[in-house]
Amino acid sequence: MSVAAATADLRVRDLVIEYSSGGYPIRPIDGLSVEASGGELVLLLGASGCGKTTLLSVLAAILTPHSGAVSVAGVDVIALHGASLTDYRRKTVGVVFQAFNLVPSLTAVENVMVPLRGAGVRSRAARARATELLERVDLGHRLQHRPSGMSGGQQQRVAIARALAHDPPVILADEPTAHLDYIQVDGVLKLMRALADDGRLVVVATHDERMIPLADGVVNLTPRADTSPRDPETIHLEAGEAIFTQGDRGDLVYVVESGQIQILRTRDDRSEEDLARIDVGSYFGELAPMFGLRRSATARAIGPTTLTGYGLRDFREKAQLPSDTKILAQAAD
Amino acid sequence: MLAAGLVFALTLLMSGVSASFGNEIKHTVAAFDVDSWIVPAGVSGPFTSSRVFPASEADKIAALPGVQGAEPVLLMRTSVTTTSVRDLNVIGIVPGGMVNPKLAGGRSLRASGDMIADASLGLRLGSTVRALGREFTVVGRTQGLTYFAGVPVAFVPLADLQASALNGAPLVTTVAVRGSIVSPPAGYRVLSNQAVKADLKRPIGKATQTISFITVLLWIVAAGIIGSILYLQAIERSRDFAVFKATGVATRTLLSGLAFQAIVLALSAAVAAYVLSFLLTPAMAMAVSVPMSSYVVLPVVAVLVGLASSLVALRRAVTVDPALAFGG
Repeated sequence: MSVAAATADLRVRDLVIEYSSGGYPIRPIDGLSVEASGGELVLLLGASGCGKTTLLSVLAAILTPHSGAVSVAGVDVIALHGASLTDYRRKTVGVVFQAFNLVPSLTAVENVMVPLRGAGVRSRAARARATELLERVDLGHRLQHRPSGMSGGQQQRVAIARALAHDPPVILADEPTAHLDYIQVDGVLKLMRALADDGRLVVVATHDERMIPLADGVVNLTPRADTSPRDPETIHLEAGEAIFTQGDRGDLVYVVESGQIQILRTRDDRSEEDLARIDVGSYFGELAPMFGLRRSATARAIGPTTLTGYGLRDFREKAQLPSDTKILAQAAD
Repeated sequence: MLAAGLVFALTLLMSGVSASFGNEIKHTVAAFDVDSWIVPAGVSGPFTSSRVFPASEADKIAALPGVQGAEPVLLMRTSVTTTSVRDLNVIGIVPGGMVNPKLAGGRSLRASGDMIADASLGLRLGSTVRALGREFTVVGRTQGLTYFAGVPVAFVPLADLQASALNGAPLVTTVAVRGSIVSPPAGYRVLSNQAVKADLKRPIGKATQTISFITVLLWIVAAGIIGSILYLQAIERSRDFAVFKATGVATRTLLSGLAFQAIVLALSAAVAAYVLSFLLTPAMAMAVSVPMSSYVVLPVVAVLVGLASSLVALRRAVTVDPALAFGG
């Protein structure tokens, strides 16, 4: 089985994804552009909450982005609706979910038959195709086993077989190694690589950096903390002027030299919640550069205000924070 | 499923009780094998009134043109003690006369002290029972002759009943007539069998209405049970629905599957209801004769109830967000 690489291209342009969480707007992806082709294994890498699964949901046509353009195998994903949406999910992308998401009451072969039967394939043909796919993922001997009777790795391979049911040119996998031990991980990783080698585009969302050597490309969704030395910056703000806005990336930590800063959080309805006032001598905005997060609030001058912006390394020294974390133990080589 | 089946079985039994009310009236009136009934003017029917008139009127009526036969009948109500105190519809007829109910056992009335009792009274042939101040011997048995919601009928010689209930006065409450009457004697009215049946249904009309109302409530309960089962399943299977949608299973396919499940559930409950109704019928204190139409209608109504009750579950399935499949 081989898939023509030309049919599996991925093009993402200026993608912005925003959704509401707890009454606040969250924008995990802001202006992302990516290109990849069939035959490639692409990793969406990043820490929890950085938007890996969210991006995968957009590629699977399950979530509609705020703005931008997404083309998968020549299909404008954002324009899909109704029958064309179902057709896309059925024929263009196959999804492997983090928690396997097999139906517990169905056997392995029946789980793989689900998308086929849902597409109107006759039972005999669906069973033959499901059997073929399960044999391909080395589960020909477990056809009649239910998920509860299989290991995590075997369940994951059933989920992969299900994703391949309609022979889609694109496979999307969400944390495929999250629930597996290292023996099971090995089999699943080889399978992912083999799927790409067949000409498919395989996009894997993971925080597991051990997968990097297997990949043809990596989309790093976690902003790297800039720890390089940089001179402190002095910034003058007029009343009402913002030093940063909620959702921005951040490299600097600020100390108030004069005036006062108001910390505000914007709600879904665009109203603002007053969180704190930062007075002279106090600092703010340290979490975004430390942990590679986006700014969780907006910082605005109440009156004429002067700030000093420090790089992370200078800030650690100034605040007398430990620059390195002590390693308490290291696994044996 | 068994709970829904039990409720369906109760609807069958309710329809059986309701049907038995109509059947007992039909059988009782038919047992007289006459064409019409003469009662005093102003009386609604022979079974619902005890207004008496001279038995000799029967001879005058028999002489009217078109009348092939006329016989005096006295209908009274009493109670007797068998294993417990039982109500009894006592009917005085002329032994060896025109009114001669079909027997399920024993013989017809011949002499004073004879009684033909319905099987529902629970007396064996040859046993004795004290009614209206005197002793009767059961010489014959009828089957299914009751009225007023299961109260058994007992036929006794007319003279015995007149002696016991009317101090021997030669009075009766109706004259049963074969043939046709052009015009009744002055002060009397003629009732057809249909009119007599309608009059006999009147006292149990509210009971029948109540049973119908309870039957509707039972259908609603059954719908609630099936709907709850399907809704809970829909909640439990939200993740499955999300995965199905995310893997390209069309929403209408999901809906068809759920609707099919509702139909299977309802039909299974209907089958359970058939079995349960057979098992429960002997335990019912009243006569239960489930009409064949109820057995035919049950699966149809069950499917409609199943589909209606699955609407909430269907709505749940439609609104499941496929993004739920990405949850860890």
